[in-house]
Amino acid sequence: MTQKYENPVVELLFQLADDDYLFSYRGSEWLGLAPHIEEDVAFSSITQDTMGHATVYYRLLEGLGLGVADTLAHMRPATERKNSILVERPNGEGVYMETPRYDWAYAVARSYIYTTAKKIKIDSLKSSSDQSLAEAAVKISMELYYHLLHWKTWFVQLFNSTEDARNRMTKALEKVIADCGDLFSYGDAATEITNASLIESEQVLLNRWTEYVKPVFETIKVAVPTFGKPERNGRNGEHTKELQDAINTMSEVYRTDLTAAW
Amino acid sequence: MTADVLLEKDLQAQFEERIARGDKIEADDWMPEEYRLALIKLISMHGISEIMGALPEKEWVPKAPTLYRKLGIMAKVQDEMGHGQLLLRVAEDLIKPLGKNREDLMQDLFAGRLKFHNVFHMATKSWGDAGLIGWLVDGAAIITQTNMLNASYAPYARALQRICAEEVFHAQHGEAIILALAEGTPEQKEMVQDALNRWWEALLFFFGPPSSDTTGSTKQDITIKYKIRINTNEELRQGFLSKYVPRIKSIGLTIPDPTLRFDEETEKWIYQQPNWENFKKIQRNEGPKSQERLKLRRTSYDDNAWVREALSARIG
Amino acid sequence: MGNESFYQEFEVFSRRTKTSPFQHQFSLLAPNEDIAIVMAQENFMRREPVADIWVVKRDNIRGLNQEERQMVERLDNKDYRLTKGYGYLRKKWRQYEQGMFDEKEILSWAGGQKK
Ligand SMILES: [Fe+2]
Ligand SMILES: [Fe+2]
Repeated sequence: MTQKYENPVVELLFQLADDDYLFSYRGSEWLGLAPHIEEDVAFSSITQDTMGHATVYYRLLEGLGLGVADTLAHMRPATERKNSILVERPNGEGVYMETPRYDWAYAVARSYIYTTAKKIKIDSLKSSSDQSLAEAAVKISMELYYHLLHWKTWFVQLFNSTEDARNRMTKALEKVIADCGDLFSYGDAATEITNASLIESEQVLLNRWTEYVKPVFETIKVAVPTFGKPERNGRNGEHTKELQDAINTMSEVYRTDLTAAW
Repeated sequence: MTADVLLEKDLQAQFEERIARGDKIEADDWMPEEYRLALIKLISMHGISEIMGALPEKEWVPKAPTLYRKLGIMAKVQDEMGHGQLLLRVAEDLIKPLGKNREDLMQDLFAGRLKFHNVFHMATKSWGDAGLIGWLVDGAAIITQTNMLNASYAPYARALQRICAEEVFHAQHGEAIILALAEGTPEQKEMVQDALNRWWEALLFFFGPPSSDTTGSTKQDITIKYKIRINTNEELRQGFLSKYVPRIKSIGLTIPDPTLRFDEETEKWIYQQPNWENFKKIQRNEGPKSQERLKLRRTSYDDNAWVREALSARIG
Repeated sequence: MGNESFYQEFEVFSRRTKTSPFQHQFSLLAPNEDIAIVMAQENFMRREPVADIWVVKRDNIRGLNQEERQMVERLDNKDYRLTKGYGYLRKKWRQYEQGMFDEKEILSWAGGQKK
């Protein structure tokens, strides 16, 4: 299990940074393989924006003396990562460098759920007691409107189309929800994080999320899902093997020489 | 006088006169079959090559060494997909009267009827390759693409204006990666030199055979006749060598051709001819990575067919 | 064939700033206008400011064909509706010791009058 940082700001920043970083890493693997060329281009912009958000958080950590942003992003082993399980899951079967079989239904369901949860957190962070976190949230929020609209459009349209698509989306959504146990969790640092008024409590945000997505779930005629207790809690450094695989790939070049300029 | 009372012969003459005075042709204008077919062949291949070209480069997207490089290469590969989008739209408008659309172009690719550019059949083995592609392959692509910026076919010229503007970023993105490596550790320098050694033949292939005697086919004559492009394959290759050989050498790299020199008398680069047999193999989709890339493109296209079906059904 | 209606043609227009006119950008394929509108900016305006976007189904656009394009031809004899046809006024006003209210002068009034 991972160490807990003294400073709850550091703890929360790692959770936010690792979430956006892994989510965008998985997005970057999709590049060139989306179901439609126009969508490939649009999707990549969202991925870039999101990696940009992760960079904002890693830089804040760098500013707090935790190490260089690139090292924080690339070199921390899985046991030190604080992202939720949802974002570390691979895009589908198969190996990236060969012929992967990525699942667009899963991409849409995961992206919709992740992005709506992100919106709820970002809105809360805007009134964080930590000035730099609040400022970061205001900036990041600017790009979120598009991300939300984009994923909502795909999510609703695919659910409300053919029976085949609806089945695929239903299955994908189930898979996504099964991994959401730690999505709103702050792990072992929850008390310190909320006591410091960095962000509102897990329960408050979860309730707000449920209200927020309700109209969309009504249009697809699906009950708003509830998240179970996490089997593993990513916030405490409990992860799947897939995360370490991803870390090995993302750092393959960087770790050959940590002192070199790339 | 209306178009339909003109005889085919007069239409052809009128069309040639338009080309001669530098007029621009639009998608729904009358055009000779020869011109339409040449455009379809050229632009659909150009478009599909952008889409296929994303595959070798995307291999290095998750592995790019830093956050900045990850973002940079992502934006670059995204642009290439975007170029595919722009060019396929131009090609799709040309095949529309033939009752075809994007679906047909994809099927042509899978069936081997539509070829993708020879340079994208190669393996990318290191981060050095990712940099070298951005620098020199995009450099070569800039030379061919700027050569057609004033193409007589206006929709193509408009797409190329957008594309060439983005290529400026691609060139600088490639230079940035290469310069960081060339100024870096001995291992990093070695990485670039190794990439150059492996890619040199592909860079010479890039512009195609000098004439049809070399490989049995080249479509350069007709595109020049109709003012789609200005220069021949060999002129473009010479232009590439003039622009890039001094830069390659200036950063301490060795070009893997000891015979390479500029002949002052003929004002031409003399270089070791690449093995054109390898080129012909690539033309038949028998290059080092031809089949794997086609398989990846086809698998992802087929696996996603349900999405396209789902949303087209929604219309009805 | 089912895929045929996935590939609908949309023309994309955008305005750079709130006061600039809509400008045609390019065309894209999308199954419907909601998808088209979320594709538009990222496909054609990734590197420039955008204040507003239109997507228009191509079927709804009436354009000119090759023959009809002749209709845009005009003789160059319309100085009477151009400031070019009134350039002599500058000299006249000088006789009255007045300046010319030319385009540059008049548009400079956008800064407002003295309060
Ligand atoms: Fe390109
Ligand atoms: Fe390029």
